[in-house]
This record gives sequence, structure tokens and C-alpha cells, in this order.
Amino acid sequence: MKQFAAFTKKEILEQLRTGRLLILIIIFCLFGIMNPAIAKMTPWMMEMMSEQLAESGMAITTVDVDALTSWVQFFKNMPMALIVFLILFSGIFTTEYQKGTLINVVTKGLKRWKIFVSKESVMMIIWTLGCLTCYGITFGYNAYFWDNSVVHNVFFSAVCFYLFGLWLISVLGLASVFCNSAGSVMLALGAAFGASYLLGLFPAVKEYVPSYLLQAPNLLTGNVDVGDYLWSVLILLALIVMQSIFSVVVFNKKNL
Amino acid sequence: MINVNILEISHVSKSFGSNKVIKDLCFTVPEHSVFGFVGQNGAGKTTTMKMALGLLRADSGEILVNNEKVCFGENAANRFIGYLPDVPEFYSFMTPAEYLQMCGQIAGMNREDAKEKSWQLLELVGLGSVKKRIRGFSRGMRQRLGIAQALMNSPKLLICDEPTSALDPVGRKEILDILHSVKEHTTVLFSTHILSDVERICDRIAFLHEGSIALNGTLDEIRGVRRSERIEIEFFRSEDAQRFSGLYEGCIQTEAAKVVISPGGRGMTSVMEMLLQNNISVQRLEQLEPTLEDLFLEVVQN
Repeated sequence: MKQFAAFTKKEILEQLRTGRLLILIIIFCLFGIMNPAIAKMTPWMMEMMSEQLAESGMAITTVDVDALTSWVQFFKNMPMALIVFLILFSGIFTTEYQKGTLINVVTKGLKRWKIFVSKESVMMIIWTLGCLTCYGITFGYNAYFWDNSVVHNVFFSAVCFYLFGLWLISVLGLASVFCNSAGSVMLALGAAFGASYLLGLFPAVKEYVPSYLLQAPNLLTGNVDVGDYLWSVLILLALIVMQSIFSVVVFNKKNL
Repeated sequence: MINVNILEISHVSKSFGSNKVIKDLCFTVPEHSVFGFVGQNGAGKTTTMKMALGLLRADSGEILVNNEKVCFGENAANRFIGYLPDVPEFYSFMTPAEYLQMCGQIAGMNREDAKEKSWQLLELVGLGSVKKRIRGFSRGMRQRLGIAQALMNSPKLLICDEPTSALDPVGRKEILDILHSVKEHTTVLFSTHILSDVERICDRIAFLHEGSIALNGTLDEIRGVRRSERIEIEFFRSEDAQRFSGLYEGCIQTEAAKVVISPGGRGMTSVMEMLLQNNISVQRLEQLEPTLEDLFLEVVQN
């Protein structure tokens, strides 16, 4: 435990001192504010453009915005935050391989699984806090401007996206065990997402792949049942556990 | 006194693809010695050291550290070892004290002990007053911090991979002094191709050539291998040197009035006899001590 705590302390210090944490706080807060802001500004923007649109023959009626508009915006913006998050952390393992900094701690007797679990936990905790921040800010503004109760299953939908993020973080860990550069880790992440997306095109399996959770915002209107996403959530959780175990096994024999 | 070996390498081989880097390597490092591991660049020194640390997998053979078998990957025997890589890299966002304290806690010390030990070691390596982060460190400072981190777990064996190669003479002296000063508490195995460093602090040496040990022993034993082989004679006049060259078979004239001979079984007295018979007076007659450089070149060229 002492070893794990010491290494995790270093990981957190790294995120603080390299400014990575600051960038992520800014991004999550910014997106949190942008969601209701964009929704709030939509009628005003429409009005600005209505004259031009009228000239081209389009008639603009009054646009109604409510909490749903803001939440839809939330689910549009979060993938962007996830991409930035993954890019920022793509080198969390590979930079250490390239510099050889892990050699010192491993030769001090630090168990390799502790390195892996520490890094993955730090990423997952920051992702969790980031999602909570963004969700909290959007939720707060929405409650102030409109009424959150018109939107259905918003928390569950957000959890689905959050879990999808956790899955990609675990893919990042797995890819980092095999790859030696941040670029190849990003490629592997792209490939994992692509594979999940392509599998999702087959009706027989589409409800079981992780990327199915990206369609969870369909729940917001209340027309879809939450139970439809249950299998996908369970499979995703199982995948995270299996990927992490497999990563540790491979990491134990990796040339550092 | 029982001679305990802290490191035993027996019949170890290692290939990278078709390139066989280490061939049936065998040697031992006795406790409380400073062991110089000498070889050209690419001779396999770093590979051997990394195998002893479990950072590389040996194709065959066995490595024991303090009588415990080394395993590739998760290597429990690492608790006996302190390692200084050839280019030590640290977390540049930390201060040296923070880094050492982390190392100490990883090695199993509690926070207070780690703090105290790290200050002691920073004083030892001359970084006690440095407060800035590692990012701004020079090569020499990194090397010194490297030694401090390697000593953090009070290792039985300190493995240093070319600790002085990239340093200026002052930096080299400082590092060698530090290595010499820790000899009391730990065994030092250090690789190098700088022979003067070996002569300065080592008491045992192994020459690694093309993946196997070409020479191995104490400094005196190794020098003794070629002792009494060569004699240098300096004459007063160059004519004497030329005359003597004509008389003595296998004589090499190194300078106008200087020759080197290898009398073999005939010994020095036969040379003196010949000088006396021919009435040649000499300024100096000296049994040449083979330098490590000579030995190294001989090993490499054969």
C-alpha cells in the first residue's frame, strides 16, 4: 500500500505540475457552461439570421428552447471533451517507456501491477470528476433557466456516456502495454472505437457493443426504455475488468 | 573469511534476433569489492546488467543476486540492488528531495525514514542545498542524483552503467569519489570503457569482449598475466640503440634511443649480459608494467 500510495502521489503531482489537470478543469467547466449558454443563445442567433433566411425564402417561427435543448448540447459536447482527455493522457505510459523513468522505480521493487493500476485509477478518477463537474454545471444552469423535469433519464444517459469513457480509458491502458508511442496508442483507440462502431451496424449484436451507449441520449425524450441499454452496460463493465487483468499480465513481462 | 558472492552469472546467453550479444557468460562478483566491468561499446555490458536486474530476458543460463534467482519482469531480487542507468532519467517536475522520498517509500521505508535518508544521500552526493526541480539539472547533477536514488534502499549491490562516460574530469572525479566512499556498505559493479577510472577505484575487473569474459581477476592478477614480458631500454646515443637492434632478435625500436624487447624465457639478466659483452652502456633499463590499455587492446585485437 505504501508503494502504491507513493507512486499515485507522483501521478497526481505530475497532472498538477504539468498543467494537464488545469487544462481539463477548464475544458470541463467551459463545456458545462457552454451547453446552457448555446441553448440560451439559440433564439437570439435565429433572430439575427432570420432576415437573411427570409430573403432566401425560409420563414423562421419562434424557437422554443428548454432544458432538453441544453442537455442535447451536453451530449454533443461531451465526446469532444473525451477526445481531448484521451489525447492528453495518450502518453501516460509511453512517455515513461521512452524516457526510461519506470526503470528506476521498478528496480526499487515497485510491483508492476501497482504502476498500471495507479495510472489507470488516476485517469478514471479525473474522468469521473470531470464528468461530474460538467454535468453539475449544466444541471445547475438548466435548473435555473428552465426545468430539468421535462427531460427523462438524463442521469442514466450521462452515466452511459461516462461508462463509455471509462471503457476507452481501459482501452488506452491496454494499448499502452503493447505500444511504445502516444501516436500508436491513439491509433489503437481509434481502431477500438471503429471496431465497436462497425459491430454496432449488425442488428444481431448492436445492443451489446460499448458504442451503443452513445445512443443513450435517445432516452431523454422518454420514448425508449432504459432496459434496452442494460446488456451493453454489463458487457462494457466486464470488458473493462478483463482488459485491465489482461493488461497487467502483459505489463508484467514488458521490456521497459 | 568466507568469500560470499553477491552476484553470480553462470552460462548466460542472449541474442537479439540473429545477433548473439552474450555468449555463455560466466563470472562472479564477491561482496565488498568494486568490480570494474570493462568492454568496448557494444560488447554487451548494458545487456548483462539489464539481465541481472530482470529488465531483459536471458535466453539461457542463470543469474543469482545474493543467492536469489533473478526472474525476468517481476524480479524480487531487485530489493538487493541499486541501479544507476547510463542516462538516468527522473520525473523532471519533482525536486530531488521529493524524488528520493518517493523512491524510499517505494523501497518500503516509512515517510520519516525516507525523508531522513534522502537528506543524508543528497548531502553525500553534494545536492543538499539544491531546491530547484530536476528539469533544470545538468548531466553531472543528474548522475549524482542517480547515485543517490540507487543507494536509497541501502542495496547490497550497486550496479552503475557507465556512470562517468559523459562527464567532464571534475564530474568524473566526484562520481568516482562517491563510488569509492560507499564501498564499505555495498558492493559496486560498474561498467566503463574508461580504463583510468578502473585503475583508480576498482579492485577486481572483468574484460568483456564479444559477449564473453576475456580476462577476469583482481587488478594485480590481471597485470601479472603479462608481467616480466617486456623490457624497455633507453640508451645514451641513438647509434647504440641501432647497434643493439642488430644484435637482439625481435627488438622494436620505439624512439631514436629507445627500444622495447620481449626476452621471453631468457629473462633480464641475459639482456644485461649481452649489453656487457658488447660494451654498450644504458641510461635506463626498465621492466615494463603492462597498462590496462595494453591489455585491453590485446584482448580486443586478438
